[in-house]
Amino acid sequence: MKKISKLSFKAKTRWILGLIILFALSVALLAGGNYYNQFSRFLASKTNNVIVLPVVKELPFNLGLDLQGGSQLVYEADVTNIPEADRAGAMESARDVIERRVNTFGVSEPIVQVNKGGNGEYRIIAELAGVKDVKEAIKLIGETPILEFKEQNNEISAAEIQAADAGGAEINLDANSLWKNTELTGKYLKRVVMEFAPDGTPEVSLEFNAEGAQMFEDITARNIGSPVAIFLDGYPISVPTVNEKITGGKAVISGQFNIDEAKLLVKRLNSGALPVPISLVSQKTVEASLGTKSINNSLQAGLLGLLLVSIFMIIMYRLPGVLSVISLFIYGLTMIAIFKAIPVAIALPLIFVMIALIFYTFNEIKIFDSSLALLFAVIGILIFFYALKPVTLSLSGIAGLILSIGMAVDANILIFARTKEELKQGKSVSQSVADGFKRAWPSIRDGNISSLITCLILMFFGTSSVQGFGTTLFIGISVSLFSAIVVTRILSVLVLGEWLEKRKWLLGVKKIKAE
Amino acid sequence: MNLNITKDKNNNMTYRIIQKRNIFLTISGILIAISITALFTWGLNFGVDFTGGSFLEAEYVNYQPSITEIQNVLQDTEIKGLTVQPTTDNTFILRFKEVSEDTHQEVLTKLSSLTSGQEEATFKELRFDFVGPSIGQELKSKSFNASIIVLIMIILYISLAFKRVSRPIASWKYGVAAIIALTHDVLITLGAFAAMGHFYNIEINTPFIAAILTVLGYSVSDTIIVFDRIRETLPKSNDDFENTVNNSINQTISRSINTSFSAMLALLAIMFFGGSTIKDFALALLIGIFIGTYSSIFVASPVLVIWNNRMHKAAKKS
Repeated sequence: MKKISKLSFKAKTRWILGLIILFALSVALLAGGNYYNQFSRFLASKTNNVIVLPVVKELPFNLGLDLQGGSQLVYEADVTNIPEADRAGAMESARDVIERRVNTFGVSEPIVQVNKGGNGEYRIIAELAGVKDVKEAIKLIGETPILEFKEQNNEISAAEIQAADAGGAEINLDANSLWKNTELTGKYLKRVVMEFAPDGTPEVSLEFNAEGAQMFEDITARNIGSPVAIFLDGYPISVPTVNEKITGGKAVISGQFNIDEAKLLVKRLNSGALPVPISLVSQKTVEASLGTKSINNSLQAGLLGLLLVSIFMIIMYRLPGVLSVISLFIYGLTMIAIFKAIPVAIALPLIFVMIALIFYTFNEIKIFDSSLALLFAVIGILIFFYALKPVTLSLSGIAGLILSIGMAVDANILIFARTKEELKQGKSVSQSVADGFKRAWPSIRDGNISSLITCLILMFFGTSSVQGFGTTLFIGISVSLFSAIVVTRILSVLVLGEWLEKRKWLLGVKKIKAE
Repeated sequence: MNLNITKDKNNNMTYRIIQKRNIFLTISGILIAISITALFTWGLNFGVDFTGGSFLEAEYVNYQPSITEIQNVLQDTEIKGLTVQPTTDNTFILRFKEVSEDTHQEVLTKLSSLTSGQEEATFKELRFDFVGPSIGQELKSKSFNASIIVLIMIILYISLAFKRVSRPIASWKYGVAAIIALTHDVLITLGAFAAMGHFYNIEINTPFIAAILTVLGYSVSDTIIVFDRIRETLPKSNDDFENTVNNSINQTISRSINTSFSAMLALLAIMFFGGSTIKDFALALLIGIFIGTYSSIFVASPVLVIWNNRMHKAAKKS
């Protein structure tokens, strides 16, 4: 009976190993699809297309601005003239306007978001990846065409206006004293389109929202027979005379402009209804070549780190060290895969495989306790963040990633140190491995929780570079737990067995001399 | 120093760490005193992220202007407080007070004009950071808040983790000892950066805060693993408290050193190959992790033992 149960245990372990190999191959293909494709092309050409491997999709990294080059612009909005209740709404429409402007600039996937600071100040953050001409972008975003409707300043006689009007260019200089503001501004515009008058000349048609329509009605009512001016950026662009009260919220600017001018005006009015004045308070621009250099540098640093840690582990822990290096590589591939834009349909099954394997392992070594619930919470948060948005790789994220290589071996070290102690007490190799895992667990758990707490706080810290670091380290620690508890353990159970009883030097333990 | 090492019944070497605690605590005391002095005399060298201002990294190809040349060409622009610092590969780092975008463009034109007349010389702006004063101030308070939250969470966590330990030392005392070790680590790391900021102009920017907070987490986790072992050995031990603690440290010392060593190997790789921004960050982590390991072995547990001994003495007197 005992033999049968042992056999089935071995068989189960092999199944688990198969699952891990499958997992490792999947993440390897996701992480290094381009290398695999190169290899399969090479193989096909060398064997005259006898061996043709299927081609996999090469996934790009989600690179942050500091790695692909680009610009992050932070604008502060001056909301002092807007009532408290309307501020959030005004910021949203300002955001839309800026997004429209940025889109015309041809930046791929610009991110524009509103951020409310701790002291109630409103900011707009625009992230323009791969933008070539930041100067132009800043100019475009910063343009604040303000549309105003003004009525005649009654303190100045109509004759003077006529005179100024006749004077042509001079009207711009004196315009502000001739006209006074009404409450109606571009804020109340609902829609602006270009139309053609019956005689074929282009006109610009304005449509106000309900509030604006009421204001416009009032303004026209009190100005019948007098001119009303439409100002753009402080300059009158049209000064029609009111013939009658206009209800329904529609107005037409007809002037002596050609189709191109009319189109431009429509575009400016549509995008120009920026409801709040904004000013640039922070800019972070990285040139694309610097980003590429950073990527290459970090790649070298990462590989060197992996190599150094691997050598160290093998020297210190011999055969178990080799096993931990294998699980370290699976760890590395998993981390790289996480930073690629993996389709959710592939990502979710992989995450479930990870969870299932962890679940199995905990059940196997019988360390089911409340700490397990915590670990699952951790992984749950991981999935949540992952599903929310793909993790963006930034320079600080890479630092977190490389640091996590060093930290990932910690769990292995704890386990092997315990295993060595058990061996010294005279236990058999497989018994020592089993006990080593079980007894190292409380330390692994307690040690990692405080690091995870710190990471969580860093993730909510706000600044994107710090968040990137926190997120990477958080994911890194979680995945390292998986690699140590699941991968290293299965490898240890399979490899470290009876045959080592007489070769204990492979475990880094000196023979205990019989006295 | 032969007395430092003894052998136990399993033929294992045992370092007499707790017995020699005065030496280690004196070293720590001196380091902390130096750090505090450095912090008070030089202060921390905050970068543009916190102070506000402009940071411009520019690269010249096939031509290397001198610092004076750069200063002269920028003389009649509106920028204030200009410092020029050459780095490797013909790049320069310019720092000045915050400017408008127009002035920024003017600076670029002026810098670029230095290459005119030089054959095949080109100028390129690699990086431009501009931080308004309000943003810097906000970042300072944010960093401060984040640090406080991390501290509170860690204290809470330790007191929960050690809830069940009571003899001969109350659980909250483990927490306090861990906090003392952690304060020790942060103070010395900050002190090292105050000195390096003064002598090598290394600046403190947002990534540094992330590094310090990570050191906090790391230091505590390292200490917890030692304390975990003490907690595990105490009920089984026939020895007195002092020796039990010393044995626990010896049982975990190789793990502490190996783990930190592998983390430091990874950080060294960043120091060698990483760019200038990430290097300082790695350096902060390197120093912090080194000190964190030192304190988990040589500070946290000795503090526990001293505390226990004091209590005993007090109990005997009364």
